[in-house]
Amino acid sequence: MNHVKLLFFATIRDRAGVRSVELDVPADITVKDLKERISADYPTLKDSLKSVLVAIDREYAFDEAIVPSNAEIAFFPPVSGG
Amino acid sequence: MPQFPTIFSITESEIDLNDLLARITLTSTGAAAIFTGMVRGVTSRDDPHETEYLEYEAYVPMAEAKMKQVVEEIRTKWPVVEGIAIVQRIGKLYPKTPTVLIACTAAHRDTGVFDAARYGIDRLKEIVPVWKKEVSPDGAEWIEGDYIPKAGE
Repeated sequence: MNHVKLLFFATIRDRAGVRSVELDVPADITVKDLKERISADYPTLKDSLKSVLVAIDREYAFDEAIVPSNAEIAFFPPVSGG
Repeated sequence: MPQFPTIFSITESEIDLNDLLARITLTSTGAAAIFTGMVRGVTSRDDPHETEYLEYEAYVPMAEAKMKQVVEEIRTKWPVVEGIAIVQRIGKLYPKTPTVLIACTAAHRDTGVFDAARYGIDRLKEIVPVWKKEVSPDGAEWIEGDYIPKAGE
């Protein structure tokens, strides 16, 4: 198992009700599988996760990416700065 | 190749245009293109409405890393650009308050420096992880962008 830290921002954080959470995941888990795990843990996020952006260690990551050990994985909606 | 001044930051403080401009002005500089965005209290276009304030938040370490990436992209596309400053203010910001500033300097105005600043704000709005919640008389709502970054962005 790998230990990882999840961060939630904006709408995702509001719906999850938490800013961050740490958890253990299988060593070969992909971003897609991690999203499914989170949907199960946080049913309120199920719809949001369809269009969520994911960053692993501060770089954008996509469904097929394998989550490395001790990664910081952020989930957030399309950005709206400026 | 001289080392040109580069500033990029997320801040909770007021954006000080004069200070930033001084820091990206060299003796060889003759032009600066500056874009700043501010909180609009009254919106007429599209969906007319009023805004009491915007509350910005950022994923700070990633936002600063992506701002640095925007700087590098500008330098690749416009090697003549001298200084670059990109600053995003976060927190609760009221109408008329500047929220973001992009400034690029160059020797002359016909060097692409206007395009460089325009590119900077456009890219910030695509890839820098910052979000704003709009609070209006009707309630609060997170504003979401529509850009989906591609691999390598």
